[in-house]
Amino acid sequence: MTGGLQRVASTVLLVVVSFLLTALILWVSGYRVGTVLSGIIQGSITATGAATSTIRWTIPLLLIGLGVVIGFRAGFFNIGGQGQFYVGACSALVVSLGWREGPVPLVIMCGMIAAILAGMAWSLLPGYLRVQFGTDEVLTTLMMSFIGALVLQYLTAGPLRNPSGTGQTAASERIPEAFRITDSSGVSVTALLLVGGVAVLVWLLLERTRFGLTMTLVGRNPTMARWQGIDVRRVGLGTFALSGALSGLAGAVELYGPGARLVTGFSPEVGFTAVVVALVGMLSVWGTVVAAVFFGGLQSAILFLPIVTDLPPPALVLLHGMVAFLVTIKFRAVRRRRTGPAAKPVAG
Amino acid sequence: MTVPSGPASAEVPAVRCRSLGVSFGTVQALHDISLDLAAGRIHALVGQNGAGKTTLAKVLGGLQAPDNGTVCIAGNQIPPGDVRAAKSAGLAMVHQHFSLPPSFTVAEALELAAARPESHSVYRRTELYRRWQNEVAEVGGTNVLATRIRDLPVETRQSLEIVRALASEARILLLDEPTALLTPAATDTLFERLRGLRDDGVTILIVLHKLREVAAVADTVSVLRDGKLVLGPSEISGVSQGQLSDAIVGPAPDADRAIAVEAAANAEQQLLLELVRVSSRESAFEPGLASIDLTVEAREIVGIAGVEGNGQRSLVSVIAGLSAVTEGSVLLGGEEVTRAPPARRRLRGLRLVPFDRNSEGISRSAPLWLNQSALRLIGRRRQFPLISLRQYKRQASEAMDLWRVRYDTVAQPAESLSGGNVQRLVLSRELASGLEVLVAAQPTRGLDFSATNFVRRSLRGLRDAGAGVLLVSSDLDELFELSDRLFVMYGGSIVARFNAPYDRQAVGDAMTGALR
Repeated sequence: MTGGLQRVASTVLLVVVSFLLTALILWVSGYRVGTVLSGIIQGSITATGAATSTIRWTIPLLLIGLGVVIGFRAGFFNIGGQGQFYVGACSALVVSLGWREGPVPLVIMCGMIAAILAGMAWSLLPGYLRVQFGTDEVLTTLMMSFIGALVLQYLTAGPLRNPSGTGQTAASERIPEAFRITDSSGVSVTALLLVGGVAVLVWLLLERTRFGLTMTLVGRNPTMARWQGIDVRRVGLGTFALSGALSGLAGAVELYGPGARLVTGFSPEVGFTAVVVALVGMLSVWGTVVAAVFFGGLQSAILFLPIVTDLPPPALVLLHGMVAFLVTIKFRAVRRRRTGPAAKPVAG
Repeated sequence: MTVPSGPASAEVPAVRCRSLGVSFGTVQALHDISLDLAAGRIHALVGQNGAGKTTLAKVLGGLQAPDNGTVCIAGNQIPPGDVRAAKSAGLAMVHQHFSLPPSFTVAEALELAAARPESHSVYRRTELYRRWQNEVAEVGGTNVLATRIRDLPVETRQSLEIVRALASEARILLLDEPTALLTPAATDTLFERLRGLRDDGVTILIVLHKLREVAAVADTVSVLRDGKLVLGPSEISGVSQGQLSDAIVGPAPDADRAIAVEAAANAEQQLLLELVRVSSRESAFEPGLASIDLTVEAREIVGIAGVEGNGQRSLVSVIAGLSAVTEGSVLLGGEEVTRAPPARRRLRGLRLVPFDRNSEGISRSAPLWLNQSALRLIGRRRQFPLISLRQYKRQASEAMDLWRVRYDTVAQPAESLSGGNVQRLVLSRELASGLEVLVAAQPTRGLDFSATNFVRRSLRGLRDAGAGVLLVSSDLDELFELSDRLFVMYGGSIVARFNAPYDRQAVGDAMTGALR
């Protein structure tokens, strides 16, 4: 257990160091660090509606982040959550606009299933390339992500464009108000139950099923798994499908929740932040929940900060980047230690 | 204390260490080791896995700093853990695993390791070849110079490791289990070479596993047990084999009772494994199979002999379902499984001890219990019901206790086990109930004396319980001792079949292709 505590402590330390480094850069650039810090706390917790906004951003980060955790468990790095999120939202939108008169629960259910299937499809193509030809999934999932963003752009600027829209960016028509599971704050009991239920299910899948244990073995040593009679390709495809499904679902929750319509390039970085969320969460389900709340708060603060300081919003993205940078180094170092010469057993 | 310097005189031991102690965490790997190795002789170091042999070699070579104690090489005291100092004092290590860069040609690799590299900053190939042609004359002639390390056969790489060590102008060689990967013939060649070096005045410390090899090559022998020096260095002529093995195993042998193996032998089925004219594609390392006919019946051990790389790996992967059959058919217990996935074969009673236990047999970073439970995870339609981890862990610890795996908790990673314990872990998984046929590939390679005996006893116990065993090994003694029938593979086919009693000469001829 002390090993586990140590890992938690080192991750917390890493986040603190990121804060300090960011503060240093802001200070050197002439901003008042105290104001910025209090702005972050206001924007994520204390200001009116800030806590709600934190939870609103936690939801997509958690769903996509759990997808990343699933991928990692079997040794795959699915960083294309953004695109899977977009195509999921698009599919739910198509279902909802195409079946406006349908019974509400059924339409929502169909929309979510469509989103899950779309996310799966977006992730299964890189997954197939990976298990069949060994194509690096980091590249393919990332490329698929751009295609997903273009699909969204095409739909919102083309077939599903709201002709009466006045905004500067193209947006779709709104879905009927009855389909929404939250108001525009993005938080409701339904949404929280849904996300909490998904987290519990993912935990059960990873830690308490044969499939989860199989994924662990495949992720740690595919050669040994093959000798044990495990169908490594099937496990790989299943992992990619599940991972993409969660990102797709996040897209549907976004549409039925705070969004109500889709705007070209909405929430442009949740899918990528979610990768950092999973890494900071140490690739465990409950760690990812905590990390998602933390990054949800930061996201909320980023939107709030321009109100209290003259800080441009991208300045806080610096903090994101810093955490991502440090957590990646730590992750590589742990991997090196795990496989490197220092890990050799005491042999005689 | 005065530290003598300058060239080693006859009285100064080549290697002298005093009160060496090393611990890793709570494990005391070396305990108060004091040792003098006389110059110009071959010294053998033996002991069980985990006795501290490799650690001692590393400390002497400066790769591991001792917690306390001193090391003197040729009279010069070496600062703890200083590889360069050990090297410049004239000591070179030949590691258990190969250390030459695989993508280099032989000449490039030797130049890299040379004590005095050429002064040019730009190399010319012909000059490199001229410089190193004498050194490689013994390992395959000058045309080997342009070959890349990765393309060389195992025994040539082994010899090159020694050439590399000598290229650094070493006067003291440390060889850590150099015979682990060698065929008997290559081992003899290696020993011949070592004797030649000894006669030239080189001091050699060699870590060995097999007592037969100790008797064949060593002048003196030392035994490590649990990190302590329990015997030697003594003249080999003054120690009997019995004394040696007693010293290795210790006064209280941990009474490895034979494991009562449960084999699910169904009485009516006699023919457990059958290959009918099986061929397969060649792999990067091996010829494919060429029309192999093979049967394994209940209550027998069938041995497969052969120089490594003659299709043994292809044979095992075809039976396991890991590589495709191009022609012919494979039957398990009378059922055709030629195209069946590995999982079906596993469920049908096939069990495997893979060639390389550390990469194919276990997942090093996964916890012990998960490694032990791997076979419970396969099969369709049972993937998603919830399972009880507590039950999995309990069953794993029961099985590991039965097989006497030494561990602290079921949650520790498998890489924390020593070689013999890893093999026990593999056996505890593969030899559980449901077994009908076992394919054991090099099951005792790299294992110490008592672990080897343990594995052999287990295989015999398995046969007596009614199972069939296919034993692939490059250890002829092992094959002769265990096999009821013996096949020899050469170039992907079975070129000879023998029944006990075996004729070593005839088997050896078949292995080298002399029968063709």
